[in-house]
Amino acid sequence: MSKFIIQVNGPAYGTSASVNALRFTQASLQSGHEIVCVFFYQDGVYNSTDFNLPASDEYDVVKGWKQLAAEHQVSLVNCVSAALRRGIVSQQEAQENGLNHWNVEHSFIMGGLGELVTGIESADRLICF
Amino acid sequence: MKKICILFRSAPHGTTKGREALDFALLSASFEQEVSLVFVDEGVLHLLKDQQPELIGGKDYLAALKALPLYDIESVFACKQSLGDYGLSHSLLSIPVTILNDEAISAHLKAVDEVLVF
Repeated sequence: MSKFIIQVNGPAYGTSASVNALRFTQASLQSGHEIVCVFFYQDGVYNSTDFNLPASDEYDVVKGWKQLAAEHQVSLVNCVSAALRRGIVSQQEAQENGLNHWNVEHSFIMGGLGELVTGIESADRLICF
Repeated sequence: MKKICILFRSAPHGTTKGREALDFALLSASFEQEVSLVFVDEGVLHLLKDQQPELIGGKDYLAALKALPLYDIESVFACKQSLGDYGLSHSLLSIPVTILNDEAISAHLKAVDEVLVF
């Protein structure tokens, strides 16, 4: 069994990166591997917005990530600087910056790139999507 | 400590890939990982000197390339074939790099623990 850290660089919609990453993470957990965390970087931070509203007959990958996190206690970490540049804002950051709105709830946490580096150090393998 | 190789494959400015690659490179180095950079394909255009990204609303993140030695990032490689494809010679580059052929790049990628492609 191995320890993986997953990096997601693609958005929730427009490329298959996120869905592929989610499928890989699910399959890894089912096979008994450990997931250190899922780290969202670059356009991957778009996976964490609550304001994605796909039509009812479309797959909702954001919901998929939230379910995975809840069922397997996998932490979903956004790179905070990549997120803030792209309008991905948690409640705490909205308050700190005087914004009226926020779009990231508690399933995703804001972290630094340092969490990616320490995650890579503790994992056997980094897999990027 | 892990050997982390960051591969620059995309041109600068048109997307944010290069900037976020460099952010990650510097951060990894400050966490005392053994970081190497490889510029291939359009990524070699990062090395062209005298660029002015502010003129197109960009940030001059390329200036940070000059700070690589301060972060103890000594292994900076560029692909010989790609430099040739874009007509780049040593005199046009902003920082010192080691020019490698395909086989040497391939050997380097095998020698590191993780490769991140941007």
